[in-house]
Amino acid sequence: MTETERVPGEGDMWFFVVFESLVFTSYFCVYLYDRAQHEHAFLKAQSALNLPLGIVETILLLTSSWAIARCVQEVRAARYRSAQRFVLATVGLGVAFFGCKLAEWVRLIGDGHTFTSSEFMQHFFFLTGMHAIHLLIGFVVLGVIRYQLADPQHRSHQTIETCSTYWHTVDLFWVLIFALLYIVR
Amino acid sequence: MSLGASLRTDPKRELWFAWYSTVAFYSLYSVVFFVLTRTQPPGRPWLTPEQTVAWFADRHWGLLVGFALIFVLGGFSATSISLITYSIRRMSVSRAYAYSYLILYAIAAIPGFLFICVAMTVGAMRPERDPALLHWLYDFGFLSFSGTMGVFLVGSLIWMAAILLDKNGVFPRWFGYLNLCNALTEVVIAPSWIFQRGVLAWNGVIAWWIDVAVFGMYTVVFIYLLRSLIQRDDLGTGPVPAPVITG
Repeated sequence: MTETERVPGEGDMWFFVVFESLVFTSYFCVYLYDRAQHEHAFLKAQSALNLPLGIVETILLLTSSWAIARCVQEVRAARYRSAQRFVLATVGLGVAFFGCKLAEWVRLIGDGHTFTSSEFMQHFFFLTGMHAIHLLIGFVVLGVIRYQLADPQHRSHQTIETCSTYWHTVDLFWVLIFALLYIVR
Repeated sequence: MSLGASLRTDPKRELWFAWYSTVAFYSLYSVVFFVLTRTQPPGRPWLTPEQTVAWFADRHWGLLVGFALIFVLGGFSATSISLITYSIRRMSVSRAYAYSYLILYAIAAIPGFLFICVAMTVGAMRPERDPALLHWLYDFGFLSFSGTMGVFLVGSLIWMAAILLDKNGVFPRWFGYLNLCNALTEVVIAPSWIFQRGVLAWNGVIAWWIDVAVFGMYTVVFIYLLRSLIQRDDLGTGPVPAPVITG
């Protein structure tokens, strides 16, 4: 495979991407099946979600994906100081997303919409909770990039690309969750 | 070379014994839980005490025979844990990973594996007891078995970290990532403590069916990779030789 054709990062990481995508796809199928069974109840419960906040969260994560992509570009160009700034920006955007998500959960629970209040909310808290766990692991992964950038002896372009692939995967899952939970009516 | 001579001289005989014991254990486990006792797929979480009494009566001999087999032969589960511990010892990482894994899985097997066997056997042996007590045993058995899967989570993460840090090539790196996928599905079962119906109950589509599909694939893969490790292993401390490709 030539340089221009190669898969970014470690090939084995793509196994994780595909496998975890299949697992999430199965969760989405279950959600859509349940939704088709109780469409009216799902629509009613869905109206409790704050769509503008969901859009803000999506923009935050998409921007974080852009920042980590810029980080990888800077690493390839051996501009490591600039790459460090982009990885810090990614962390900041990720933290902002997580803060928005926590605020949304607190507001919903305060309004009586809990994990057990309806089937829609069961799926909502489950899917957003699972995504949040992936996001928290993502912070560890970003920490690996930060460590690699800070130490020239341990710097590996492949590892940095692998870590950024993980972050993009977390972003991809959110876009799908956002579309299914907030947009689909 | 005869089988007897091979057994006497093969330096890997203990590893092969552990591997065949692992295969035998998981086969026995599947037969006992899915066929003899019919405790998997799990019973419905919303049964009434009277329905629970009927559930125990329907499986009386299956529970007794199946879990008797587990009490006699379940100790072989230790061979799979020991073989995995050996695989981590064979890596270039600190021994702390191997010992942490060993201790975690040894402890986790008590709530995650033995409690259901004891609870269901008690229920089958004492059918004349108050239905409320049998109902409690039923809940206790399934919640301890399914609801405590999270205790295996850290073990999977330790194995994952060891594989990803290893320089000896004991396992392919994608298997390290598969450990992460498996660990993440262990989280999914936790809501079964809350829900008695729906996709997150202990028999739900997400909490049981999808989880078991992932765990089943994970188990088949790690048993195959352990076999491959034993075949390649030179019993040294450096990198494990790559597989020989023939033909």
